[in-house]
Amino acid sequence: MPEPLLKAEGIVKVYPDGTVALRGVDFDIRPGEIQGLLGENGAGKTTLTKIISGLLPPTLGRILLGGEPVRLRSPKEALARGIGMVHQHFALVDDFTVLENIALGTGRPADRALRASVAELMERTGLRVPLDAPVENLAVGERQRVEILKVLSRAVRILILDEPTSVLTPVETDELFGFLRRLKGEGVGIVFITHKLREVLEITDRVTVLRRGEVVGEVLTRETSAEELARMMVGAELRPRGRRPVELLTDIPRERREAVRTGVEPVLVVEDLRVPAEGGGEAVKGISFELYPGEILGIAGVEGNGQTELVEAICGLRGGRGSARLRGREILGLPPLELYRLGLAHIPEDRWKYGLILSFTVAENSILGRQRSPRFLGPLTVLRWGEVFAHARELIARFSIQAPGLEAPAKSLSGGNQQKLIVGRELSKEPDVVIAAQPTRGLDIGAAEYIRDLLLGLRDEGKAILLVSADLDEVLELSDRVAFMYEGTFTAVTTPAELDRERAGLYMGGMRG
Amino acid sequence: MRRLRATLRAVAESILAAAIGLVVAGFILKAWGYSPISAYIALFEASFRDLYGIAGALANATPLILTALTFAVAARAGLFNIGAEGQMYFGALAAVAASLFRLPPGLHLLVALAFAGAAGVLWSLVPSVLRATRGVSEVISTIMFNWIGRYLAFWLVANVLVDPYRAEKTITVLPGSRFPTLVPGTDLSYAIFLAVAVALLVYFLLWHTVTGYEMRAAGANPDAARYGGVRSAGVIVLVFLLGGITAGLAGATQSLGRPPTYAVYSGLPQISNLGFDGIGVAMIGRNHPLGIIFAAVFYGGLQSGARVMQLFAGIPLEMVRVVQGVIVLALALPELLRIFRILRRRRVELGGER
Ligand SMILES: Nc1ncnc2c1ncn2[C@@H]1O[C@H](COP(=O)(O)OP(=O)(O)OP(=O)(O)O)[C@@H](O)[C@H]1O
Ligand SMILES: [Mg+2]
Repeated sequence: MPEPLLKAEGIVKVYPDGTVALRGVDFDIRPGEIQGLLGENGAGKTTLTKIISGLLPPTLGRILLGGEPVRLRSPKEALARGIGMVHQHFALVDDFTVLENIALGTGRPADRALRASVAELMERTGLRVPLDAPVENLAVGERQRVEILKVLSRAVRILILDEPTSVLTPVETDELFGFLRRLKGEGVGIVFITHKLREVLEITDRVTVLRRGEVVGEVLTRETSAEELARMMVGAELRPRGRRPVELLTDIPRERREAVRTGVEPVLVVEDLRVPAEGGGEAVKGISFELYPGEILGIAGVEGNGQTELVEAICGLRGGRGSARLRGREILGLPPLELYRLGLAHIPEDRWKYGLILSFTVAENSILGRQRSPRFLGPLTVLRWGEVFAHARELIARFSIQAPGLEAPAKSLSGGNQQKLIVGRELSKEPDVVIAAQPTRGLDIGAAEYIRDLLLGLRDEGKAILLVSADLDEVLELSDRVAFMYEGTFTAVTTPAELDRERAGLYMGGMRG
Repeated sequence: MRRLRATLRAVAESILAAAIGLVVAGFILKAWGYSPISAYIALFEASFRDLYGIAGALANATPLILTALTFAVAARAGLFNIGAEGQMYFGALAAVAASLFRLPPGLHLLVALAFAGAAGVLWSLVPSVLRATRGVSEVISTIMFNWIGRYLAFWLVANVLVDPYRAEKTITVLPGSRFPTLVPGTDLSYAIFLAVAVALLVYFLLWHTVTGYEMRAAGANPDAARYGGVRSAGVIVLVFLLGGITAGLAGATQSLGRPPTYAVYSGLPQISNLGFDGIGVAMIGRNHPLGIIFAAVFYGGLQSGARVMQLFAGIPLEMVRVVQGVIVLALALPELLRIFRILRRRRVELGGER
């Protein structure tokens, strides 16, 4: 076995608020190997990799690079030593263009030469982004691609990817994997964090599992199985369920719901919706659809084909032309609070932009958008903190959110737990219509299953759900009907039963059905 | 518990910053050949040793608490209201104007205060509406209005409210609308209670009402606030409304509650810069109403101490100002850095201001 490129020994991390995130972790990264790092939400994956990439100092423990103890004081220093990390949450400058962001990351000027080398990199990795668009105009999936390109454009010997695929489509993921294999062939040591076991089994050579800040297992990928990995993560036998086959799920309830639907009015009718794009032109070019009570309508497609704009226009965050009627009432241009009163909830795709106020506490975030509902509003607009805390406690219990406390700022929650907080808050609004964009992004298997079950449950109660997700499996598994979005229009609207992955791929690529 | 820890950390940080400021200023004093030790003794003895010193510090603190609130409320909501200075002038003058007629004592004071608050709001109206409807940067517009306000105030003192017998000042405020003196022989009046009460009210508003929640949300993450149904125009108007009231009251505390003058002099000598100093106080107090109370007392003490330092330690005024400046800067630095970050972020949204 080759010498590890990097060894972390006895890493302990205690955050300033007293949260113990890592309790003595040994970890090594070997050349020419892709190592999976697995663990439930809040297990400490991000913390560990942030320490290795110089973003956080360890409380105890040391890091050996090529056998030499090193002290990495900043990501810049780590990069100089060949350690690059793609972060779970993006570190991009919003008002800079993609190229400028990459330039910033590499310390090179944003000139012709850089443009050419990035273009070549995009070719090799299959990750394409408009180089001259300001980052703030990009969808989350596109930002993810930028973040990956930024790191890859540096020569690194150690590459850490924190949930890079959570907003990539299967095709993009495949292309990324191809590229990672090539890097591996060149002797780069790669750490890959994901919640998707299928990906772990496909791409990694070795898997390390974290639970509550401790390494609970290390196995060779070819000697393990999804079940064993799941067991190691949770520390107990998982319900023997895994992913349910597509046919089973969609066929039976669909017939039942078809029966319900006959004679049922759609709750949401969108007609010829057009939404201008930030850079001129139209991001949504005349989309029409109907959403019925008791159904999940999935929207599949590569990120950046207008899904973000579509959702934001319907949810009152962006202007659009055409019409969208909720139970007959025109809602285009209505402010979000009014939409909430009409029974619409929105799980936003970008949890740091719209979903949370990071410096606000968990309790404060738990009522965002509902701050004026009678339960929390006393006389003279006095906030009833007792009720707010009670509500936050309910969310924490119901969605098993791991939080240091009700008064801890949202930024101290792990990525997955932030997502649970948002989803919990929105679903607790008891909406009739849910617009869910990437609802399970970054959730561990258990939590993602829970949310999916919850969405299915809501549907069975007769609620209407519009599901936008880059995860094709998720869309196919949950949806009663699927629409494919490509360059601002629907290329096809069909049922999952009539689809296979190949056909889905074609629709996503622009073929009309 | 967590909140307590955060508060303690902020206090510890401030104490450390003050210490650093004192040491740096000490080196500067030393380099110019003055004894830092005796300078500092003079500085703190004057303001914090006896009742008179403390009364002086509190009297200085009174208007500063209020003007600092103007800035802090806005900063919490992500806005930079630099306009306290101008709004405060009109507050002071409106409070004097209330003495153009006669009312029962007590009631007269309340009416004068209402005048002052209204005048402050009036002077903040244009920047407020411009920002809320057209997105015009409030930083620029409030600074401009401070200047316009200054000359308009000069004119009002000399022409409209002028004392018929003494051309260098306005009419004297009627006794019935004055704040009673709290410590006889000093210029500390009951106005300090008004300032502290307003600070407590603002605290309550920010952290215990939905309105405050929405204001803070708009300041912390404007996108998420919009998503959460917060109307930014509403927040802007409210911020300026509150800011106008507090700044106006700050002015009133000077014309109604600062013995022995009870009038505004031409050139505005007693009230100039109270609005700007309030910005420093707000930053030292981390834009927190309770922090501001302590910061204002500290700042007020520094102001009266500076005079003593000049007199007894024989340090020239310029040097005293340098020392003061260094200490204030050290204390305000963390908040200042935060503000620069926000401004940089905002530069893009507002466009045009680039
Ligand atoms: N800045 C912080 N302050 C306090 N506690 C923190 C902070 N950041 C993370 N934590 C805590 O440390 C623990 C580990 O968090 P971490 O982000 O490493 O989890 P993770 O394994 O990456 O989870 P996820 O899959 O949800 O991204 C969590 O309990 C989290 O609440
Ligand atoms: Mg993480």
